[in-house]
Amino acid sequence: MAKKPKLSGADRKGLLQSGFGSMVLEGASGITTSPVWSKVADAQAGANERILVIVELSGGNDGLNTVIPYADDAYYNARPHLGIRKDKLLRIDDHFGFQRTMAGFERLYKDGKMGLVHGVGYDQPSFSHFSSMAFWQTGAPNSGEAYGWLGRMADAIDPLGHTTNFLVNIDDHQSLAVRSMNHVPLVFDNPDNFTRHIYHDEMAAMSAIDLHGNGSANAAENFLFDIAASANTSEQLVRDAWNAYESPIDYGLVPFGLERVAALIAADFPTKVYYVPYRNNAFDTHVYQGDLHARLWSYTSDHIAAFVEDMERIGRGDDVVVMVFSEFGRRVAENTSLGTDHGTAGPAFVIGKSVNGGQYGGVPSLTDLDDGNLRFTTDYRRIYSTLIQGWMGNTKASSILKDDFSPLPMFASS
Amino acid sequence: MDRLRAENLSPIRREDWDGRRAAHLLERAGFGGTPREIERLAKMTPEEAVAAFVDYAGIDNSHLLPFEESGFWDASLTQFPVSRPAATTLAENHGEAMGIKVKPAGSRPLQPVTNRFFYWLRATVLETRRLAFWWLDRMVRSNRPLEEKMTLFWHGHFATSEEKLRDYRKIQLQLETLRRGATGNFGQLLEAVAKDPAMLVFLDAAQNVKGAPNENFGREVMELFTMGVGNYTEDDIREAARAFTGWGNDDLTFVIDEARHDGGVKSFLGRSGNFRGEDILAIILEQKQTAIYIATKIYRFFVREDVSPAFGEALGDLLRENDYEIAPFLRTIFLSEDFYSEPSVGSHIKSPTELIVSTYRKLGLAVMPGIPDPYLVSKTLGQVLLYPPTVAGWGQGRSWITPGILFERGNFAREVMFPNIIDFVDPNYNPGAEIRRVNQNINAGMEITAATLEEGAAPSSADGIQETFNTRYASLVGYQEALRKLKPTPRGAAQFSLTDMVLDAGARTSAEAVDHLLARFLRVPLTPAGREALIKTLDEQLGTNTLAEAESYMEHGLRMVAHLIMSSPQYQLA
Repeated sequence: MAKKPKLSGADRKGLLQSGFGSMVLEGASGITTSPVWSKVADAQAGANERILVIVELSGGNDGLNTVIPYADDAYYNARPHLGIRKDKLLRIDDHFGFQRTMAGFERLYKDGKMGLVHGVGYDQPSFSHFSSMAFWQTGAPNSGEAYGWLGRMADAIDPLGHTTNFLVNIDDHQSLAVRSMNHVPLVFDNPDNFTRHIYHDEMAAMSAIDLHGNGSANAAENFLFDIAASANTSEQLVRDAWNAYESPIDYGLVPFGLERVAALIAADFPTKVYYVPYRNNAFDTHVYQGDLHARLWSYTSDHIAAFVEDMERIGRGDDVVVMVFSEFGRRVAENTSLGTDHGTAGPAFVIGKSVNGGQYGGVPSLTDLDDGNLRFTTDYRRIYSTLIQGWMGNTKASSILKDDFSPLPMFASS
Repeated sequence: MDRLRAENLSPIRREDWDGRRAAHLLERAGFGGTPREIERLAKMTPEEAVAAFVDYAGIDNSHLLPFEESGFWDASLTQFPVSRPAATTLAENHGEAMGIKVKPAGSRPLQPVTNRFFYWLRATVLETRRLAFWWLDRMVRSNRPLEEKMTLFWHGHFATSEEKLRDYRKIQLQLETLRRGATGNFGQLLEAVAKDPAMLVFLDAAQNVKGAPNENFGREVMELFTMGVGNYTEDDIREAARAFTGWGNDDLTFVIDEARHDGGVKSFLGRSGNFRGEDILAIILEQKQTAIYIATKIYRFFVREDVSPAFGEALGDLLRENDYEIAPFLRTIFLSEDFYSEPSVGSHIKSPTELIVSTYRKLGLAVMPGIPDPYLVSKTLGQVLLYPPTVAGWGQGRSWITPGILFERGNFAREVMFPNIIDFVDPNYNPGAEIRRVNQNINAGMEITAATLEEGAAPSSADGIQETFNTRYASLVGYQEALRKLKPTPRGAAQFSLTDMVLDAGARTSAEAVDHLLARFLRVPLTPAGREALIKTLDEQLGTNTLAEAESYMEHGLRMVAHLIMSSPQYQLA
């Protein structure tokens, strides 16, 4: 669903003819040069302009029906009903193909903008959504780590929390991945609703009430005041960015958040990390998954491809990389309900113009299995290390990830 | 007050009992209440006050009405197809589906069947919303708040959602199971829930059969319902799943299909035997970890988030000593020094449901207002009853709050104080843009295919299309049929008078009025500057600081003050 331009063609023509050209001929991003924006942009000046966007596919995506090893008979043997036939998929080489609904991903891959990583997982896998997702979000399996890997990265890059809204999370609750010691992530869902409904005569008192004073011994109270401060400083910025944003690009049938990320990037937000989940465990396809899984991927692939195109449109194509993951893959064999159960390794995707496109990581065997599950070939923290080091240019990947993980050669500098 | 020791479960003494502690008990064991209710509890002994919550069986609740169904369901809907394609395929193969026959001839022979499919899809959503409204209303009105609060706890614990169930009747049944067992024996509740159709369907019991076990329930029963992750192996999950094979439901009745039950020997948590599902549950209950997990989770829900491992063990021991009986466990907690110690008081971030219900109870309302719409409020704030986001239920504590949601909590308060009735539209009557568009086209006399084309498509693209059914049209017809039967939700604004409240409390000045409202609504005080700003705002609204002069018109200004108080960070705490 593309956001509709606020001016129709006729409106634009009319305005141009009446000499109001400046209202029409805005910058490529459609953002006016209001003082707010120049202030935000100034604060950015000189800083690394690279942006990392993480897309989380919750529920455990069926990797084998996403990047389909059609040349491997073992795939069809394990999936007599759910296996996707060779003539019904989008081939990307002589071994793999995407679901036919993934035209957007096919284009990204063929244009060399996608690093496809095979067999991503970790040792001693958890089959629990919640544990495995927490492992991915913290980058620290079985550790009880309180902060997210992106939160720790933010703390490493900007230890004093100088960059406002370093971390943005598009959701109705905050993800563990962005929990940070020194940054308060900006979390919002619908930008239109990100405002207080308040009468004029109440405003002065509202400001006084939201001021913290000296802090208290009550940690929950301090937390709420931090959130109030984040809300008060960001709401106008977010809504202005959203209202000013126009895009001719169609973000697909389920625009699950990247269009909001695009609006903030178009408005030159100082944010380095955006975290966008596809929500509600949607990829948990235990029963009758055929149509459902194809549909989920049409939404996801359309949405991500649109975002990449939109970044190119606003001139930020070189600055933005998207990483797409799910907390685990599914078992190799289909189950008796025409679905698949929780499994282990799966593919992950690193997408952007700056990525050295191609395939990374060993392809897991479909016959040498661990109790019916794929053996992972690529620890997911190697991708994190690639992004921290190769993309964000931070050398502390080992300390952020609490161990050494060799990066993949996905970026020119890595 | 610092004398009261955190993590100490011995009962507080009579001399430590006061209005502040009574208010804390009312917030946590119930949903908060009026100053009068707090006063009543404060006059009791601590034991009597706690008993007023825990021993609720004898408390009269006859004013509460049972849920009145709209009458959507009939027996032909018993085997509701899993999807629209499944419905139309079924009809093609059998000549009928869901009690509706295929047309013998004419256009769109499968249209009535498709209409029927969408009718139920919509009907069960609308009825589930009514059920949630009925439950919220019950939380506001009940004389046994702990009964509803524990039911709410179990609903988040044994989380099932209409999203997958697509049958409000199963949800209603499960809600009754949860309420009946709310403070009874955990083991009995666990078994009752495991055999409840809602859970059987939600975790795919029908797919769990001998030879091809589905591990969904076997996994979640340990990970989420009893022990927590890390206390069992993947093998234990598989063996448990085998023991539950054959469990299922015949509509609303639990059945075991012996032919699909795996009667073989299973090894589970270090024991082996010819286990059936009940045996698995019994073995789980024998695990020390189960008591720790459940006790800690209940404790976190009622008291506070931080539980040290040693204290978690103590809580688990307490639950085991009580043979998993919840009521005596809660009595000990609510009477304990720990419950009234400093880290426990004013440190709980209210869930959206607690926020909504406590707001109305603090205003002394006798019914749940229909404006603002509680469904939309819950959705905005992140907790739609009967729609938990996943089988793990809702996250608690800080996970309720984001910057956007903090604002929305204040916006809810404004809707309570200044309900926007002029712009109000019953969300049940809002089917969304697509159905609206199709409805307009059909009513304007357009042909069905043309009326349902994508927006902006050329009408000529309908030429020559021969459809056996039209899903967009079915969606419209199904919605309309459901709305014809839907019992209306009462839509009234909250009835209360802040003027009466402050005058009854003896307030004479604007400062005293503000102080009364602060005391009524907050457990954690505002900053002094915040209080001063409220007094200033009220003075300006009243044009005086003497209430006697402003009595006839001060309601508006008082409502502003209440809205501001409820927008504060402190109001989110109980």
